[in-house]
Amino acid sequence: MTVSQVVFILLSIAALGGALGVVFARNLFRAALALVLSFVGVAGFYVLLEAEFLAMVQILVYVGAIAILIIFAIMLSRRMMSSETQPWNEQWVGAVVVAAALFAALVFILSRVDWPATEAQVPADSISQLGQALVSPDFYVLPFEVASVLLLVALVGAVIIAREQ
Amino acid sequence: MDWVADFWIPLIKAVVVVLVLLLGGAYMTWGERKICARFQVRYGPNRAGPFGILQPLADAVKAIFKEEIVPNHVDKIIYVMAPGISFAAVLITFAVIPFGPEVDLFGQRVGLWVGDIEVGLLFLLAIAALGSYGIVLGGWSSNNKYSLLGALRAAAQMISYELILGISLLAVVLLAGSLNLREIVDFQGTWPLLVLQPLGFLIFLIAILAESNRSPFDLPETENELVSGFMTEYGGIKFALYFIAEYTAMVVNSAIVVTIFLGGWKWPALISDLHPLAGVGLFLAKVLFVLFLYVWIRASIPRVRFDKFMRFSWKFMLPLAFVNLLATAAVVAFL
Amino acid sequence: MEISLPTFDFLVVAPEIVVLITALLVMVVDMVIGREQKGRLAWVALVGVLAAGALSYYLWDGSDPALHDMLAADGYALFLNLAILVAAALAILFSLEYTGRVGLAQGEYYTLLLLSTAGMMLMAAAINLMTIFLALEILSISLYVLVGLNRAERRSAEAALKYFVLGAFASGFLLYGMALIYGQAGTTSLAGIRAAVQAGGEPSALLLVGLGLMIAGFGFKVALVPFQMWTPDVYQGAPTSVTAFMSVGAKVAGFAALGRVALYAFGDLQGDWRWVLAVLSALTMTVGNLAALRQANLKRMLAYSSIAHAGYALAGLAAGNAQGTSGLLFYLFAYAFMNAGAFAIIIAAGRFEGATGGGETLDDFAGLAARKPGLAVAMALFMLSLAGVPPLAGFLAKLYVFGAAVRGGLIWLAVFGVVNSVISAYYYLRVVVSMYMREGRPAAVPAPVCAGLQVGVALAAVAIVLLGLWPGPIVDLARVAALALLGG
Repeated sequence: MTVSQVVFILLSIAALGGALGVVFARNLFRAALALVLSFVGVAGFYVLLEAEFLAMVQILVYVGAIAILIIFAIMLSRRMMSSETQPWNEQWVGAVVVAAALFAALVFILSRVDWPATEAQVPADSISQLGQALVSPDFYVLPFEVASVLLLVALVGAVIIAREQ
Repeated sequence: MDWVADFWIPLIKAVVVVLVLLLGGAYMTWGERKICARFQVRYGPNRAGPFGILQPLADAVKAIFKEEIVPNHVDKIIYVMAPGISFAAVLITFAVIPFGPEVDLFGQRVGLWVGDIEVGLLFLLAIAALGSYGIVLGGWSSNNKYSLLGALRAAAQMISYELILGISLLAVVLLAGSLNLREIVDFQGTWPLLVLQPLGFLIFLIAILAESNRSPFDLPETENELVSGFMTEYGGIKFALYFIAEYTAMVVNSAIVVTIFLGGWKWPALISDLHPLAGVGLFLAKVLFVLFLYVWIRASIPRVRFDKFMRFSWKFMLPLAFVNLLATAAVVAFL
Repeated sequence: MEISLPTFDFLVVAPEIVVLITALLVMVVDMVIGREQKGRLAWVALVGVLAAGALSYYLWDGSDPALHDMLAADGYALFLNLAILVAAALAILFSLEYTGRVGLAQGEYYTLLLLSTAGMMLMAAAINLMTIFLALEILSISLYVLVGLNRAERRSAEAALKYFVLGAFASGFLLYGMALIYGQAGTTSLAGIRAAVQAGGEPSALLLVGLGLMIAGFGFKVALVPFQMWTPDVYQGAPTSVTAFMSVGAKVAGFAALGRVALYAFGDLQGDWRWVLAVLSALTMTVGNLAALRQANLKRMLAYSSIAHAGYALAGLAAGNAQGTSGLLFYLFAYAFMNAGAFAIIIAAGRFEGATGGGETLDDFAGLAARKPGLAVAMALFMLSLAGVPPLAGFLAKLYVFGAAVRGGLIWLAVFGVVNSVISAYYYLRVVVSMYMREGRPAAVPAPVCAGLQVGVALAAVAIVLLGLWPGPIVDLARVAALALLGG
């Protein structure tokens, strides 16, 4: 096994273990922390894929902003240690069956897929290329602008919901 | 695999940097007490060794020999983990800061930095984001209302000022054309960025003070309203970890300020050929100067009120940072 | 540094930009005008929507310009733009008095309505998975907030939460499907995916699973069975004018993107997805109609009816031919008028109930013909059109999609549709019977109906009659639009 394979397995454990923690933790705060672990694992994948920029942005945005905000909301809205939630409800049997069936079907299909791999190298100045692509009309300037509209919508929506009457 | 170049040299660099940082953090506590004392016309610590220079050692011994108390009502795992996170984040931050040029040492070509990554600037911001978890987790796991309030303040403060920090740094990136800290230092060969970005420098300085919870923005740990905030329930070595993390963070943050705005290890366009190790000395001198600034501010400016502080952040600092960024962008684009 | 302004053909996205700018304008105007003048915001919004509609029509010269594999202003997009803008304009007319009565914050209401409209229009024009997803999120997030805008009503908040949670879930499915498709095709452009589909002999499992997940995601948005659970609660809980808008707009946008993905990108795999859509279509109309039979609350009944109509419209898509596609387009266009119109009557009926709200149940409609003959006639028209009674628009729309299904070899589906239409006539006619043949109580508040609403209802009623009697121009437009997608 090569070093990167070992690292990949460790990162997978972090990402998947974190995700399981989010679902199964009874304490909401711990669930949020497990989410952080999962985010960090994904950032690690990006590093492994030599997408350093994405990795840093993943940490900056997801760990540094989104997860902190979730934790912030939990701290403001829950009693401190007694915030036990019940992750199961009475329909869990059906849910497990459906989820397991979907999972099995996806695994069955995806394991038989001949994944198209690319031999392309990561370009040396990937960051400036990324920046150029984001504002180039031949690439992503339109999605970039549309995404800013999306953020505007989210902003307006958040203000409306949070505002007191 | 070239063991010397790929394993031993990075390892030695990392160990040396960590040791220096620890020492620096420890002596920062002493330095602050000494300088603050002078501001208040006192002597400060002067019993342990000449000028009290053994004081940090005495403090460390005391902290280590304290009884390890983990209160019953805390969330034990997170409670123990939190100071470690704070401390680790501080140490990791320094990894991307270049403290000297590339030099020949013992027949090897060695760059005086631990890691030279393309996205160094983002790395700094990302790790700073991780560091805030140390405080938030400590405050939450303590299960104590003062601690929780401290943690809440820390989280709010960090989110607000991280944004300002990032935007003031964007102006730097526009000028230097790189996110790599080594290249940003190289860019400052003639003039430090302080000259090109005076407003950006001020914004950055204020934001980094807030980000590291230093006076006058040390609201998460105000002893008079929150009885030390997130640290209330901590004692012994865990308290010492938080404490030393805070002071090491001061050293690291000073190094960041020096690297990004004060030209790192470079002279401002005066002397061209300098012994490379003199650059390291210059870097240290600059860091010491910024550290003095830190203490100076603490000794002279009273703590601000939290609500005013947040309003200041969102309604004044953030627009100001945007103006600075836009102006810089316009200059870069049209000149 | 050399700064070159990107060469960008703004004309391609001009209608969307007009709507977006109007949304921002509403937000700014809302800030400066006084509390009593908020009603004027509706007129600002209406002017913007009409301008965008005129622009969409004017842009339609058959040249089908596209923006770098991201957006296309082809006939397909422009036709659906018209349907979406019709829904938006009607919703604004219906909101004039309603927003004040229910106490919705008007500035935010019209801003979000316009932003959502822009999202729908972008979705109709999107020819890239990325733009499809972004547009979908714009329209969805604005709708989540719009649904929960009535702060005084608990059901409104409940509806918003349900819609949000399930909508986010659906977005997850959609995104997962997109990721798998990208994994195989190596591109997010629909043209690129089409090329990838055509290249391989044996269709790749990744593409098929991806398409399946995407159908599930869109299925949530347009309320196909088995992804319809949210619909009744959300349609009932949301402010009625929002229901009128979203029941049309979100469906049009969802079908628009689904049509592009299925018919264009996966056009060569028709054999693989047609039967899925056909089964979904049959299921959807049956479940929707059977559930609607038992509803006493009209908003809820119309919610189930809208599920059934998603099923009918899907039959056009399942047909997989040009006739089915133009049928689907015509269906959506006609549906915009009749469904929005029906909700408008509920808004008007609520007016007579005073502050208590209500006006939503079948009993409230008893004897409406005696009290408000004009409204009753319009409502009867909408109900008959929804039921598919000739010669109204709803009849022709069904005729087109079922005819296309027959031609596409799906005779069983057409039979299903016809049987379902007969079943649905029961609950639609029940409303008419209630209005005309039952004794009603006098109105609690003898108030006049808002003029704007009257105009809107009148327009919608005239439109469905005209579309039924004289469908030529719109059918021709729909045919051109379908050809723009399928390549003629």
